[in-house]
Amino acid sequence: MMNNATLLAQYEPRPTGKVVEYERQLFQARFSPCGSFLIASGYDATIQRWDMRGDEIKRLNPCLGHHAWVQCLSFIPGTERNVSADSWGQIAVWQYTDKTPAPVWKNESAHDGWIRAVAVSPDGQLLATGGNDRVIRIWSATDGTLQKEWSHPEKVFSLCFHPQGASLISGDLKGVIREWDPAAATMRREIDARVLYQLDKIGVRRSATSGQTTRKQLACAGQKTPGGGFSTGFPCVLVFNWETGQPIREMQMGKNDDGFAYDAIFHPSGFVMATSCAFPGKGFVWCWTPAEDKAFYESNSITNGRSLSLHPDGRRIALLVSESANANGRQLVDGVYQGGSAKIHILEFSGQDTV
Amino acid sequence: MQTLGTPILASAVWAQSSGSLGLRSFLQPCVADELAKNDKQVLLIWLDGGMSQLESWDPKPNTEFGGPFRAIPTSVPGINVCELLQHTAKQMHHLALLRSVCTQDNSHSAGVARINRGDPKNRGVDYPFLGSAVAKLLGPTSSGMPPYLWIKPYSGGFKASDAGFLGAKYGALALGDGKPPDNLLLNKTISPEENELRNELRQKFNNRYAVGRRKEWTEANSYVYELAKKLMDRRDLFNESSVTDKDRERYGTHELGRHLLLARRTLETGVRFVKVNSYHWDSHGDNFNASDSLIRQFDQPFAALIEDLHERRMLDNVLVIVMSEFGRTPKINSHVGRDHWPEAWSIAMAGAGIQRGVVVGKTNDQGTFVDGQPHDIGDLFHTWFKALGVPQDMMEYDNNGQPLPVANEECSPIPELLA
Repeated sequence: MMNNATLLAQYEPRPTGKVVEYERQLFQARFSPCGSFLIASGYDATIQRWDMRGDEIKRLNPCLGHHAWVQCLSFIPGTERNVSADSWGQIAVWQYTDKTPAPVWKNESAHDGWIRAVAVSPDGQLLATGGNDRVIRIWSATDGTLQKEWSHPEKVFSLCFHPQGASLISGDLKGVIREWDPAAATMRREIDARVLYQLDKIGVRRSATSGQTTRKQLACAGQKTPGGGFSTGFPCVLVFNWETGQPIREMQMGKNDDGFAYDAIFHPSGFVMATSCAFPGKGFVWCWTPAEDKAFYESNSITNGRSLSLHPDGRRIALLVSESANANGRQLVDGVYQGGSAKIHILEFSGQDTV
Repeated sequence: MQTLGTPILASAVWAQSSGSLGLRSFLQPCVADELAKNDKQVLLIWLDGGMSQLESWDPKPNTEFGGPFRAIPTSVPGINVCELLQHTAKQMHHLALLRSVCTQDNSHSAGVARINRGDPKNRGVDYPFLGSAVAKLLGPTSSGMPPYLWIKPYSGGFKASDAGFLGAKYGALALGDGKPPDNLLLNKTISPEENELRNELRQKFNNRYAVGRRKEWTEANSYVYELAKKLMDRRDLFNESSVTDKDRERYGTHELGRHLLLARRTLETGVRFVKVNSYHWDSHGDNFNASDSLIRQFDQPFAALIEDLHERRMLDNVLVIVMSEFGRTPKINSHVGRDHWPEAWSIAMAGAGIQRGVVVGKTNDQGTFVDGQPHDIGDLFHTWFKALGVPQDMMEYDNNGQPLPVANEECSPIPELLA
């Protein structure tokens, strides 16, 4: 493993100057597996798409038909499809390359209320969903047929499949990570991330397993030790040894009113890249190798970070940020009450290596 | 028995010469006599920090600022509330919602007092909070129980600051964490005879302490002491074993559930005004998970309470109010929170003198501003005093010769809310 100085020389994220702007706030922005599209899900019940193939980024027709918040977005390997889920309990699968996408299939009552997490099996055959109704359901990715379902002890905040496909991993409101056998609907073990739980409402916000190269680590994102009345604490990513379930590294940023680490991804070279909000107004992006005591890169030069996506070329990153400053009371611009918006910054690693 | 927390309680003189809470010294005699017969009670549920109206009483589902949650129907056709109020929705036929609340302050530091006082015009005095005002205007009920109890997390004691210019004795007797005042019960090693002697000695000390001091301060000391003695007669209130399993299940075992159950029990004993505080509602960050937790914690025991008051035929006499210092911004900030929003929010109420199963006022389709006539907290104070039978147009406080209206004279009752 490279040391921090070498990593910084190779993997310092730098702005390319390309920025996608959107008039409403977004939850996630992900590169498609083919790298040609950037897909984002939002607070406005839509899934937005951009064509990234030319010099100019082109906005495409959105995917419509969801309600309220579309917090969940994942791609189905081996296809040109993505799955999305909303806060009213609907899941839908889309052909994201279509000119005007319509759902390939959808289930309007997949869950009772807010779906917080969707994961897709590595072979692209199964979808896993979970949320506030404390149920995990496994669906056929092809046609939406329900395959399995089981009760979950708490609200499900995050889901991911292990790269080897035999395990589904859930993170919950109370900061408990569970490994499940999705075929048998049985739990194999628990991993303790309760340090991310406080005040009935914190929990594991995002889970990620290490990439195909190592398959030996699990990261989960959230916050710890909130201060003041803002329900916000230190942005934090915990990394565990997958085999033992023991913590390897606690990657904490900022101060205790900054807020959540909303996303964490493993780079194929082994480091974790994460992003968070912070107070006031500036979020963090950091890159940290679990073997090192400190991040090799950290920056809070951008607004509040929401998601990260690594392009298939291994060099570019889509960093989604929220543009919606805290403000009490009436805030009018030209007599109009303003909501928040989003920007997606396209970053590029400093070195020349590719994945 | 020890005193209740503030320095003014170090000594005491119990003087009843001014009548029931000194009411007659402040009010016209005929009004005071009439009010003494009025056994209306009040429960104020104060959600400190600011409850989001959009995740509770005034949902705007699937709109820009509507958030993730659905709206659900209630027991009153045509009235929907947020899905986080699933139990309360079934009690909507007992409730009145005012969705057109528009107040003046977006800071906690000024807003809490401003709302609790009814935002009166500035006359250079501190107006009483609603609980102290009702304690003053209506006095104790015929039960003789303390007129103003405050059930709250953390510390208890006697909170004189609520009383403002009325004087310390109209303050709140606070039950910290729903527990009785320290040393409420007589120590078993002290016999009744010894206790009598002890009280005589205390009385002598009080008399000596009172010499040369302001009467209202020494009266307050003694008054609080006597309030605590009244509570001694109802120490069963604090006996956890007297709570039924059914009530425990219906109200929940969390803090707000326990405190709302205690509120019902204290109302049953005849306390005139009960305030229940809940904290941590200031959801600048993570509002939607906070609401999912806190509003559900409110919903279940609140619905149980309304149901119980109705079944016990108490709802005709008990005015129930749910409010905060403001609502929360329609805009969702980058911490997925909502900030302070006095421009357009909601207050829920039920019971004595209040119309049932109604929504009064509305916000625009986006929930950003009031659509139509806005209502300030002063309008609500007029409404509540009228619902309680206080003829506010005939009455004003007499603050040592300074006439002071009980509620902002530029405001008026909201007729649609009154039964």
